[in-house]
Amino acid sequence: MQSVQHMVRTGRRGPMHEFSMAFADLRASFDRAGLAWSLAWHDIVSRYRGSMLGPFWITLSMGLMVAGIGFLYANLFKVPVNEFIPYVALGIVFWGMIANVILEGCQTFVQASGILSQTALPMFTFVWRTVMRNVINLMHHVVIIVGVLVFYDHWRQANVPVGAVGLLLLLANISWMSLAVGLASARFRDIPQIVGSVIQFSMFMTPVFWLPGGRLVDHAVLLLNPFYHLLQVVRAPLLGQSVDALTYIVLGVLAVVGWIATFSTFAVIRRRIVHYL
Amino acid sequence: MKGSDVSITVTDLTLRFPVYGVDSKSLKKHLARITVGGKLGRTTMGVTEVTALSKVNMRLRAGDRLGLIGHNGSGKTSLLRALAGAYEPDEGTIDVHGQIAAMLDLNLGIDPSATGLDNIRLRGRIAGLSAKEIDQRMQEIADFTGLGPFLAMPLKTYSAGMQARLAFAVATAVHADVLLMDEWISVGDADFQKIAHQRILQLMERAGILVLASHDHELIRLYCNKVMRIEAGVASPIMDVKKLDELLPAA
Repeated sequence: MQSVQHMVRTGRRGPMHEFSMAFADLRASFDRAGLAWSLAWHDIVSRYRGSMLGPFWITLSMGLMVAGIGFLYANLFKVPVNEFIPYVALGIVFWGMIANVILEGCQTFVQASGILSQTALPMFTFVWRTVMRNVINLMHHVVIIVGVLVFYDHWRQANVPVGAVGLLLLLANISWMSLAVGLASARFRDIPQIVGSVIQFSMFMTPVFWLPGGRLVDHAVLLLNPFYHLLQVVRAPLLGQSVDALTYIVLGVLAVVGWIATFSTFAVIRRRIVHYL
Repeated sequence: MKGSDVSITVTDLTLRFPVYGVDSKSLKKHLARITVGGKLGRTTMGVTEVTALSKVNMRLRAGDRLGLIGHNGSGKTSLLRALAGAYEPDEGTIDVHGQIAAMLDLNLGIDPSATGLDNIRLRGRIAGLSAKEIDQRMQEIADFTGLGPFLAMPLKTYSAGMQARLAFAVATAVHADVLLMDEWISVGDADFQKIAHQRILQLMERAGILVLASHDHELIRLYCNKVMRIEAGVASPIMDVKKLDELLPAA
């Protein structure tokens, strides 16, 4: 219930000790998951204070984007609107989640500097805060998905359980990415701009609102793009399509390798993070 | 936790921290330096390492109220931050038994555009209260701040003294065993000083530990029974507060 009853802090005692301290931080953040949730909820409430629709404002603007891009590109690509709009809706909603978890990840530690420099709260709490904040936003945007799938009569094909597994795989990956850019941004102040450029570039390279047809089917541009797999693993099942085994392999390996690398970095620099800020 | 078990043990604590120059915070400049072989004119690349505390030893038991004195930049706040668990020691050990409440910075986790009540919730959660406990104690905390209708207003409209009241009310609502305070407690008005005084006395009855950093020797004489002087990161032995004058440099 309460934070620290017995606290021991020591100097460096070799890599094993650093790792066990990093794990202790992770465990403590799970023990106090409610705190991360409260902070995330507070962020949402304060961001939309005084607005009537709250996060639904973003939902509304996303909905308009779906409609605009959906009708325009459906005509450009000469594909049926009732096929294309659900595709774009899922693409924009989940891309928004991927992009925001990573972009806001840059601020995870920088924003928490005041709290980190005077309490023993686990650092992972703030990583979960960023992720949970975007999960709360996603829960608002589900309105678009449900609306579009029902309106275009796609909901019967939607495979929600497989989509949910995909969402978990998506979250497992974007949360280490979020932590990684958070650590980097704490140390180097120009990282957020770089991350912003990379995300923008990726948005155009990833089939968020274009269909990979013709020459692009199974092209390296898609298969080597982790964002393609991240999007595909959620979008395909919800559109009633099957997900390539390759996508699951790529995301599984990416999650394991990404977490090991990022967590190791965290373990090594954990003591220094508060001084970077 | 039973009051009698509360303790702080610090052995050979050394705290160093890097101070990064402006350019050293830029990845692009790091890369540029590598590619041009370090010839990029004058840069503030240097990472200076500052030794904030060296070989500090202290042992506090239940009922101890330690006053920290020393010049600005002598390491008082760094020691408090290390005791709060925010700064990790580079050498030595810090061992604290008991629930810690740190009141070092008034701006801890506050949201200036949120109301006073929202900020009580936010701070309470950060301080370790559950949402339910906050609801239960909300009335008590709100009364203690003495801010009345102002609690419904955004925190950015508060004066420093009002913020201090709010911060103090929440921090001491946690039933902490170890209270770490930087000297901002002195910003409150006479009224507030009086109620704060009572709260600290209550804490003492629960046999907690207080560590208070201050330049105000009268404040230290009022609240503390022990005193320690830190000078350039080196701590004096802990002395009885009656010998405070001996610790002061000969004027």
